[in-house]
Amino acid sequence: MSFIGKSIKRVEDKRFITGKGKYTDDIKLVGMTHAHMVRSPYAHARVTKIDTQAAKDHEGVVAVFVGSDIEGIAGVPTGWQVNFKNGDTMKEPPHPLLIRDNVRHVGDAIAVVIAETKEIARDAADLVEVEYDVLDAVSDPKEAVKEGAPQVHPDAPNNICFDWALGNPVEDVDAALASAHHVTSLDFVNNRVVPNAMEPRSAIGHYDETRDHYTLYTSTQNPHLIRLLLCAFVLGIPEHKVRIVSHDVGGGFGSKIFHYTEEALMVWVSKQIKRPVKWTSDRSEAFMTDAHGRDHVTSAQMGFDENGKIVALKADTYANLGAYLATFAPAVPTYLHGTLLQGLYTTPLINVNVTAVFTNTNSVDAYRGAGRPEATYLLERLIDLGSLEMGMDPAEVRRLNFIPAFDGVNQPGYQTQVALQYDSGDYKPVLERALQMVGYEDFRAEQAKSSSNGKLLGIGFSTYIEACGIAPSAVVGALGARAGLFESAQVRVQPTGKVSVYTGSHSHGQGHETTFVQVVADKLGIPMEDVDLVHGDSDAVAFGMGTYGSRSLAVGGSAIVKSIDKILEKGAKIAAHKLEASVDDLEYAEGKWTVKGTDKSIAFGDVSLTAYVPHDYPEGLEPGLDFSSFYDPANFTYPFGCHIAIVEVDKETGKVKLKRFIAVDDVGNVINPMIVDGQIHGGLAQGIGQALHEGTIYDESGQLINGSYMDYTMPRADDLPSFEIDRTVTPCPHNPLGVKGAGEAGCIGSTPAVVNAVIDALWKGGHQVKDIRMPLTSERVWEAMNN
Amino acid sequence: MQLNGEHVLKAPRKVVWDMLMDPDQLVKITPGISELNKIDKTNYEAISEIKIGPVKGRFTGAVELKDMIEPEQFTMVVSQNSKIGNVKANVDIHLDKVGNGQTRLTFDGKAQMSGLLARTGSRVVSGVANSLTKQFFDSFEKEIELMNS
Repeated sequence: MSFIGKSIKRVEDKRFITGKGKYTDDIKLVGMTHAHMVRSPYAHARVTKIDTQAAKDHEGVVAVFVGSDIEGIAGVPTGWQVNFKNGDTMKEPPHPLLIRDNVRHVGDAIAVVIAETKEIARDAADLVEVEYDVLDAVSDPKEAVKEGAPQVHPDAPNNICFDWALGNPVEDVDAALASAHHVTSLDFVNNRVVPNAMEPRSAIGHYDETRDHYTLYTSTQNPHLIRLLLCAFVLGIPEHKVRIVSHDVGGGFGSKIFHYTEEALMVWVSKQIKRPVKWTSDRSEAFMTDAHGRDHVTSAQMGFDENGKIVALKADTYANLGAYLATFAPAVPTYLHGTLLQGLYTTPLINVNVTAVFTNTNSVDAYRGAGRPEATYLLERLIDLGSLEMGMDPAEVRRLNFIPAFDGVNQPGYQTQVALQYDSGDYKPVLERALQMVGYEDFRAEQAKSSSNGKLLGIGFSTYIEACGIAPSAVVGALGARAGLFESAQVRVQPTGKVSVYTGSHSHGQGHETTFVQVVADKLGIPMEDVDLVHGDSDAVAFGMGTYGSRSLAVGGSAIVKSIDKILEKGAKIAAHKLEASVDDLEYAEGKWTVKGTDKSIAFGDVSLTAYVPHDYPEGLEPGLDFSSFYDPANFTYPFGCHIAIVEVDKETGKVKLKRFIAVDDVGNVINPMIVDGQIHGGLAQGIGQALHEGTIYDESGQLINGSYMDYTMPRADDLPSFEIDRTVTPCPHNPLGVKGAGEAGCIGSTPAVVNAVIDALWKGGHQVKDIRMPLTSERVWEAMNN
Repeated sequence: MQLNGEHVLKAPRKVVWDMLMDPDQLVKITPGISELNKIDKTNYEAISEIKIGPVKGRFTGAVELKDMIEPEQFTMVVSQNSKIGNVKANVDIHLDKVGNGQTRLTFDGKAQMSGLLARTGSRVVSGVANSLTKQFFDSFEKEIELMNS
């Protein structure tokens, strides 16, 4: 039975589309109380007085806690340490569960009200009197580093968390730019976006006094990581006393990786009141407190020779980290951004400089793509703009600069100027296939005629690469990660030959319950119905580092394959004993071991039964058929692709219509093409959303002024064309499935393609505009054409 | 948010000034205000209820009059708090004589909002401000007419 490579419908969808998913907020425990957070309406203020008496006196209120009640409890930590260029340790101010002195962003938590119902908690929270001494706030990262700017933390002078550089010596890069035939310079902003998972965050703390044991139900992408951070860094509880459960999670896009203050707070509160307590975010809180994405302010220069070959790249970025460091925050603008600036090109000299900055805004951390979309935006905007400025074809400039094909087996990996070594790649075919799908020559002819009908047609390219399959532990350890990034899997064959698979890769929309089961059923030659996947419970799954960075199949799937190999190796010993043959004479296919060249065979279920009823059994062999494995990848994986956007810009109104979107991605081998298509579609919608619709606005006083769906625009189905997608396959040479990861590709490649297309349209209409700030609203495009 | 505009009222400057200094008159003509208590010559305590887009709040707080040059100009400093967020505004008000015993009222200032009010009301708030301003001057004119009749 072969399942790998088949578009099998997602088994989990039965419960999702019938409304029977089990999300954290669906859980109701006996005696459960409800929490409501009191949050700051100011971006920066000294709290001079908190009076909770009226709230405590309100009928139905169980308790009210403020920062001074949790003295001695540490704040939530960050998981990554990136040091200053001079070697100094980065500034790591505490992120307390409830503030004790100053509030530092709108939504910073001041108190928590616990009551018998959610409604009472909310009403009573209104009775908590807080007095503020309002301070000046700063929300822009370049303003924040200026002398005299408001200071977010007293121990981070000029609001700098760290500065960081990577690549070739800056003087070499400067010299190459100085002598380049043409230099394209671009100053731009990579706009801040709100992740907007459909399910708001939720956490239930449950302390069981009889066992001195804690359970945290939470909507997270990585239960074990939360357990590690909660136990070791925040509450100091031993891990064996804590269980983290994360059943169905309605989307994360990175925002549910991080250990949030509310999670630790619910666990702590539950112990104080000796009852379970639930907190569920409302949408307004989600806008204020779910970690945001992007927010880079960048100046970059790309130098070309007279043929259009790139000779050097220099980038200087101010990365807004918000008021507090979220779990992956320091890694995103550095090791997930700077290291990707080689792109698909042979650029010989690259230097990137990053200044990470605190501001009076919500935390910024990984959002679908995490650093790699920012790197791709930087590179792809520059190469398209450079092509326009030099009067060259952007497709041809890319061909000229592509790294030649290498498979990572017969040819070595490609060593970049920015630390990474690419595993395998063949870049021209994705571009050529995409051009063919576009009908490139016909398009250019049509474009030349288009201006006459009041519309400007434009085409934008993006040929991207990403580093996925995060990550080899030794490598990330050297780069400042405070944890390993391996994955674990246990494959437990039950006596009847049915299989339970326990994975640390949490599924929250990715379809693991289908894809992973396809892999297991395929490798064991048994029906998919005979395999179940268990995830999201730290008591059931041995260990896990979670789901992010398009790592699940490449790392979690590889761990499963390792366990299957062990199952088949032991199973062969049992089969050989039963068949009275040598292990070397057996072959395994279609769910049975057969003595080669004979019809003597034994089925998988008979072997598993023998393993658990070992009456007639190989001498010295342990009973049972159950193996755990840990897989630590040898390298990142490097998916790549070509995205092309075709837009039409209305000359009168500046309105942008996305007419076509072509994506040719290479994510290595594909287990379930339908699921990969779905991942690409979702990623494209988010990447296009950033380019055309989304953008978080903090005003100069640090107020989040578009914190609702009235004012924050999300892409809708009718904003998007029917996507035209295809794939090439360059297998990953270093993991057993040859897979590279597909979760983030759509979001990484698409954003610059759309913006490049609008810029191209404007140039063709005679407006030599270098940049329009995202999102490209009609107003901004119109302004760009009319200034 | 910028707050500015002007309106010509059919009354002499002294009459307009006196009306602006009279809490009972102000409660009548200012939309949303339910109470305005005079603490002293320049300080008031206000309670108002205002709906801004999807959010509705009961605001309480202070109104202070500064830099008064009777009957030409003053500055109004408003600081209002509510469960849906707080508003701080600083508005300069000028009264100029124009012909026929009429008065031009010019106002120019800035308002800053916080909290839920800022998050969900910003897009509609200038529209709300314009409509409240219009209501204010309409009521003002009606009161003047009543006095004149």
